[in-house]
Amino acid sequence: MTSDPQSTANQRIVEDLVSRLRRRQLVGSRATALETLLVLRQVVSKARFSNIDQLVNIIRSVGRRLVDAQPKGLYILVTYISYSFLELEHSVGNTVRKVLHHIREEYHTANEQPAAESSFSIAKFVLQGQPRKQATIPSSESRVPLKENDPDDPDSFARVLKPVLMEAIQDVFDELETVYDNISKNAKDHIHSDEIILTLGMSKTVDSFLKAAAHYRNYTVIVAETAPSYGGREMAKSLSSAGISTFLVPDSSIYALMSRVNKVILGAHAILANGGMFATSGSLLAATAARSYSTPVVVCAGQFKLTPLWNLYHEYGALDFGDPSAVLCFDEGDLVDKVDVVNPYYDYVRPELLDVFITNYGDHPPSSIYRLLKETYDDEDNEL
Amino acid sequence: MAPKSNAGKENLLTDEAEVLQAVILADSFNKRFRPLTTRKPRCLLPICNAPLLDWTFESLALAGVQEIFVICRSHPEQIKAKIAESRWSKTGSGIKIVPILTAKETFSPGDAMRDIYTRGLVTGDFVLVMGDLVSNIRIDEVVKVHKERRKTNKDAIMTMVVKESGANHRTRSRADYAVFGLDSETSECLHYEPVMGYPPSTVASIPREILSAHPDIEIRNDFIDCAIDICSVEVPSLFQDNFDYLDIRRDFVHGVLTSDLLMKNIYCYVAKEGYAARVQDTKSYESISKDILSRWTFPLVPDNNHPAGHLYEHRRGNKYIDKDGTVILARTSTVGSKCLIGSSTKVSDNAQIISSVIGQNCIIGEGAIINDSYIFNGTTVGPGCVIERSIIGFDVNIKENTRIDKGSLVGDGVIIGPNAHLEAFGRLSKKRGIDTMADEDEEDEDDYADSEEEEVEAAQGTINVNLGSGSNAMLWPQSAPDEDENDENVENAKNQRFMRLGDSASDLAFSDAGSESSDEESESSDDDSDFDKRLELPTSSSTSLDLPDGSSTDAIAESEFRNEVRLSLERAFTEGHSVDNAAVELKTLRMASNVSLSRVREAVVSAIVERIQIINGGGVPQRQEIAHVISRWGPLINKIGGVDPVETIAALQTHCASSKRLLLFGQILAALYQDDIVEESDIRKWHQSLVSQGLSLSPGVRTDNIRKCWEIGSRMIQQFDERDSSEDDSEEDEGDAGNNTDENEQDEEEEEEEDSEDIEDSSGED
Repeated sequence: MTSDPQSTANQRIVEDLVSRLRRRQLVGSRATALETLLVLRQVVSKARFSNIDQLVNIIRSVGRRLVDAQPKGLYILVTYISYSFLELEHSVGNTVRKVLHHIREEYHTANEQPAAESSFSIAKFVLQGQPRKQATIPSSESRVPLKENDPDDPDSFARVLKPVLMEAIQDVFDELETVYDNISKNAKDHIHSDEIILTLGMSKTVDSFLKAAAHYRNYTVIVAETAPSYGGREMAKSLSSAGISTFLVPDSSIYALMSRVNKVILGAHAILANGGMFATSGSLLAATAARSYSTPVVVCAGQFKLTPLWNLYHEYGALDFGDPSAVLCFDEGDLVDKVDVVNPYYDYVRPELLDVFITNYGDHPPSSIYRLLKETYDDEDNEL
Repeated sequence: MAPKSNAGKENLLTDEAEVLQAVILADSFNKRFRPLTTRKPRCLLPICNAPLLDWTFESLALAGVQEIFVICRSHPEQIKAKIAESRWSKTGSGIKIVPILTAKETFSPGDAMRDIYTRGLVTGDFVLVMGDLVSNIRIDEVVKVHKERRKTNKDAIMTMVVKESGANHRTRSRADYAVFGLDSETSECLHYEPVMGYPPSTVASIPREILSAHPDIEIRNDFIDCAIDICSVEVPSLFQDNFDYLDIRRDFVHGVLTSDLLMKNIYCYVAKEGYAARVQDTKSYESISKDILSRWTFPLVPDNNHPAGHLYEHRRGNKYIDKDGTVILARTSTVGSKCLIGSSTKVSDNAQIISSVIGQNCIIGEGAIINDSYIFNGTTVGPGCVIERSIIGFDVNIKENTRIDKGSLVGDGVIIGPNAHLEAFGRLSKKRGIDTMADEDEEDEDDYADSEEEEVEAAQGTINVNLGSGSNAMLWPQSAPDEDENDENVENAKNQRFMRLGDSASDLAFSDAGSESSDEESESSDDDSDFDKRLELPTSSSTSLDLPDGSSTDAIAESEFRNEVRLSLERAFTEGHSVDNAAVELKTLRMASNVSLSRVREAVVSAIVERIQIINGGGVPQRQEIAHVISRWGPLINKIGGVDPVETIAALQTHCASSKRLLLFGQILAALYQDDIVEESDIRKWHQSLVSQGLSLSPGVRTDNIRKCWEIGSRMIQQFDERDSSEDDSEEDEGDAGNNTDENEQDEEEEEEEDSEDIEDSSGED
């Protein structure tokens, strides 16, 4: 990063966010996402740069710093903000990527270049989604309103571009605001009357999806408790308060009930490039049970949970372990010494076990996730 | 009270926006980690590759502390330098850390607190922790609770954070713990009784007053004392006022709770969630390392929020390998579960590492086996070495085929081997004189360390161990030769074994227990067991043996106390002090020697009884003597801090039973009755109790005497009964007489004398 006086102020903001992330004082994905965006906005507004590469480098270095603070063995960077009600926030990297993407887009628009169109649908995905390789702009292309590397007035580039950049960041904000609604708007097409739906954990996305469907359909939800976080209890309470007929069952009875279930709806923590996903622990159990009864498994997630990474090393888990005290009480002095307790946050669910992802940009099978990734991010940002 | 120039500024800050302050006592005030700590303060020892102090800072940062004072005594330059280079002094850390150098003469936490007071460091409620804390407890919430409580109760000066753990938890010290008596509703700490591993104790005594004042009491022996205290600003000044307070728990908490004068309250906060523990000895060093590696301290775990800022990759089975890719693990090497390996460390072929922590830049040779051990940065372990359950310092060179048995501590820079064998619990440090030149800048520090090392060197002649050719090490003698070894001290040699890494101390725990229930206790237990609720400690209950060991510490303390009381009363008697003055003196004595109220009562009663001279021939002169003494000194019995006439009678009985004044029992009791020190109902109550009848005692002269006293009491009660039925009128007279003139009183006295004469006569028949 350029070492001018402003950057120390920036560093301070970034460090503050870093330490709060590390101490898990900032929990809840929406909060994390908003904080990240605020930090980025501040960084951009204070940064001095005279061409696009400098700006991108500044943002990247902030992103790298934040991502390092992410408590993750595997280098997972979830597409920008996860709305799932899970404790860990891996949204930072994706927020940064998205902002970078938007900034480049704005830059292209300002240079009167055609920006890649978004809006995706499973019906025409073959026609769409060519990778935008032209992302790096040779600085020779600079035109009248945008003067890069102007020796007389090094700030002119920044001055012109900054309002546009702020707008780009605002776009990301707006997208986050509307994500639940966009996912839920087709809910009635996926859930039919008198169906029995199984879900688990507390996912805001799934919650709003089910509630939206309840306006049109009359159906039953079975919620598994999802030990040891017991997010399922909260979910069941929320659903039944919305007037949906809800059963809360222990995790152990998922397989027994599966023969009666018409559809399994899960939330995701991160959608990986191969179409698999990380989801709250217990999801693998439900997905495997569903497979043996050929019950369809539907995943509700914002498109921002896409992450351009693969799960190469770990077959079943995301290798992110929490505090064993949720499983074994610290008072059990004798056991604590003799037993190793693992409390994994996430299961890795293979793409073969999933049928469809419902996102705010349409529905996709696991096999087309890679195209979405190309569409959403610039290849060069995969490694921050 | 001369605040430094910047302290003034801080005061302003505090007024504006309540800055949460914390004080870290960064000195251990003991030597349990020797020789690792000869040239370095304990708080800079690494645990899981981060200095303890950093863990403490992080624990406090989690709680939102904004200003930290670090009180350092030994090796302050090193601490200062460490703070300066750590990430906490960088911009954006949000914490202001001020190292405070305290005098070399600060030998206890109490001294440090007095220093805090004289410097005027704290301006409001503050968090007091030790420099070896690992915690993820939300201390800010405890502070909130504390402040809330202070609004209604100004005397709630301190909140101690304790963690439920069960009695046998590995992180709970077996050498130094405590029994807490808590009020179930308010969680006010009512009783604090420190317990040591050696000498072991099987009972905890809860003072009777506490039981009567609080309907619901929890007596807990399953707490880990986290040594996190939320103190109000009075606490340092209390230390200043009581210059003999040394330890925060044993002296201060105990003193405040038992004091009749201070009237301050201490509360406990029982942490349900979170983790907190202190690295107070090598044993807890091991257990806390394991707790960290098994993620009990989450989010303070190596792969998430490592205090030194290292980044570790967490692999299945709680293995943590540094993430920067500089760690070399040979293909045939084994890394077991619960391991942590720092950056640039190389593990060679066929080496095995099992639940151990390896620092940075270490080399583990071929086929070496490292089991449950903690190896600091820069150490080389040669091929074929075996290290079991030990702590190896910085830059140690262990040459090939060396064996280090469990519980060993190897100091920084030591070279051992090849083919050496260090027996279990061996302690090695580098011989002096090799790099004294380099250390010259901290001369006084070295003086201190040197004097100790000199002792060790002096002892070298007697120790003959093969530490290998080319070794620069010297072996420390097994236990420190301490002439004035005192079992009462927590640091006594046997108790230290409970703190030692790898030492189960099973031989100690099961052999010579039970000195508590010695002669002295059982002698007085006839009246005592009624007054003190006895509590069996689950940890060692079934193992106590009744040894006829009259010289137990308790007994000594008690006989000393009795003696003191006797002397002070004698002085009061001869110099004619007022009853109030004598009472104050007794209260102070009681606090100083920490005995229960009933003991004081016994002592006072017996002193007064002994004061009564035996007049040959008895009769009226004897009765006058008794009346004189009792009317002069009797009121003292009820002024020692609590009124309990039943106990007074019982004390009188037991004393008379073993005294020459046995025959005076009835008369004295009558005199007490006349002076309204005991009431009729009290006598009846005493009379009914089993203990007063001496039923529970083995037969003997003393028991006979007790029996006799009881019979005297029976007759007295008979008289009461008779009088109740026949002398209703005269009782009313008596009631009136109290308000009337001297003359009437004279009459009344005569009347009473008649009563007591009756009683006396009946006793004379015996």
